[in-house]
Amino acid sequence: MSLHTFAQKVLQLVVVLLVVTFFSFCLIKLIPGDPVSKIIPFGTNLQKAQLRRDLGLDTSFISQYLTWLRDILTGDFGRYYNNNASVSSQLTKSLPVSLELMVYAQVFAMLFAIPLGILTAYRSGSKFDGATNTIAFGLLALPNFVLAIILAVYVGAKWKLLPTQSTLDPFPLSPIDNWRYMLMPTIALAVGQIAVYLRLLRSDMIATLQEDFITTAKAKGIPNRKILLKHALRPSSLTLLTVAGLNVGALIGGAVVIEVIFGLPGLGYRIYQAILAREYVALQSYVALIAIAYVLVNFAVDVLYSVLDPRIRHVRAAA
Amino acid sequence: MSEQRRNPANPVALPGKDEGTASERLVADSVLGGMPADSATIQEAAITAMTASGRARKRAKLGVAAWLAIFWMGLLVFCAVFASLLPLADPISSTDAAAIGKGSSADHIMGVDSIGRDLLSRVVFGIRASLEIGVGSVAIGFVVGGFLGLVGGYFKGRLGSLIAGLLDTLLAFPALILALAIVAFLGQSTLNITIALAIVATPILARISRASALSWSEREFVLAARAQGAKHFRIIWREIFPNVLPAMLSIAVLGIAVAIVAEGGLSVLGVGVKLPTPSWGNIIQGGLPDIRTAPNIVLFPSMVIFLTVLSLNYLGDVVRARFDVRESGL
Repeated sequence: MSLHTFAQKVLQLVVVLLVVTFFSFCLIKLIPGDPVSKIIPFGTNLQKAQLRRDLGLDTSFISQYLTWLRDILTGDFGRYYNNNASVSSQLTKSLPVSLELMVYAQVFAMLFAIPLGILTAYRSGSKFDGATNTIAFGLLALPNFVLAIILAVYVGAKWKLLPTQSTLDPFPLSPIDNWRYMLMPTIALAVGQIAVYLRLLRSDMIATLQEDFITTAKAKGIPNRKILLKHALRPSSLTLLTVAGLNVGALIGGAVVIEVIFGLPGLGYRIYQAILAREYVALQSYVALIAIAYVLVNFAVDVLYSVLDPRIRHVRAAA
Repeated sequence: MSEQRRNPANPVALPGKDEGTASERLVADSVLGGMPADSATIQEAAITAMTASGRARKRAKLGVAAWLAIFWMGLLVFCAVFASLLPLADPISSTDAAAIGKGSSADHIMGVDSIGRDLLSRVVFGIRASLEIGVGSVAIGFVVGGFLGLVGGYFKGRLGSLIAGLLDTLLAFPALILALAIVAFLGQSTLNITIALAIVATPILARISRASALSWSEREFVLAARAQGAKHFRIIWREIFPNVLPAMLSIAVLGIAVAIVAEGGLSVLGVGVKLPTPSWGNIIQGGLPDIRTAPNIVLFPSMVIFLTVLSLNYLGDVVRARFDVRESGL
């Protein structure tokens, strides 16, 4: 990627970040009526005046935004109004749990999707391929919270194989206990992704296997296994990696629901609590943080993509 | 939805794929059916008719699975419309305390919920809220997003890039988080949920229509129409929109499924449709505390959601296969 396009991308990134944070800032304006009396309905007049000053409601809209943005950028995410805890202290405890869940889910999904994708592409049109595709199609229709609930009911409650409802604070336990609590949420989050990745890799793989260099490799007598793993997988996996990167957005949303069902004390669970307790300021910070993180991940994937394969970049530009 | 959007090269094997029922036929159909025949369109139609007949195509019949999906969706719509005429207990006020925790029985096919209301009745009445939200949000997204996309794809100058920038920014939010935030701050009501999900759906549909409009507006028949002095609005509405429609429809059908699931997710998070109005999501949410003693409360609506999403996904794929919507470039 030339320096020029990179600079252009960075400029775009900054603009998008500004707009995204501005949207997040505007959220608090969506509260119908007076936000102060919604946030602390039973506060004294003094507290209300304090909050009004905190939110900067007595200054202009733009300066409110700039103050808020400065606070966010310097790591001041506001505080909870019920118990005066700072949002950032909650964040340092809950963020690792959510990240752990998402990394596990991605790894788990890839562990299943890659071998299955290779096999179904290699045996495309076979019964195995048909069955796998049908199952994948069904799994796509299974909302992750439904799967989570089914797992929680049967594996968790009825058969008591794995613990549900951890809400242990602080969460990270011994590695084994940690895994026991993480396994079901991971599966619930990963299964839908398996179907997505599998279908994607399969179709890319089938296209690659029809290329001339594969025929050449076959003619040279290279064993199938080596052709599949060494020659075909790499060029077929670029789209998969990109989608995996971009899927982080879907995973964040899914993780919120999954964490609530299994009571994992991650970011999603904090968001849920903030909604229930009408902690609007904390909620706004969480949303802004997630949006910023998501934009940054998208940016990283975009840059990585064009670095990895300039050929694809040209195709994309032409399309 | 995200899969559709972020997946530029996904020639996924479609069920019942009709090999190459190409866009030419679509052009011929839309041009000959209902359009005033000006010379350019006739010429275009003639060309496409020739190539089409040369390859001897015929419409693939809908398979059994597609009819099952249509039947299921038809049943849901029927039940939603005539719910109050069906022989069901009142979903909100009538309770049967004796049946709590007993599971399915002759009186209550799905059992009752945690305060003794007939679950079947609640699920049937819940279709209304779930479909209202699913169809409503996608319909708004379809109109607004479709319009933005068409305009943005047709006028490639400053207006086009402004619209593209706006869409990219909206897409920069993780979808469920955006919806969650909007509903949490705006207050929870069916209307607000619909609006929130419409805001999520709009950029996705706009992106599809923009990409499609971009490529269609390069075609000769558009140039011909322009050469004849057709107004911009007419070109967009009569020449481009009919061609963009299939791609948008297939995504919209999938979008309804996504919106229904999203309502469920929002409900689990406590910002779904407000009680006592039943929706599939809030029935599930209401059953969560009693999941050990009465799993039926959660499992039946989950099953209904699953079947609905399965049907819609399948129908979306059928639309895509029929009209040969190519995802490359979308």
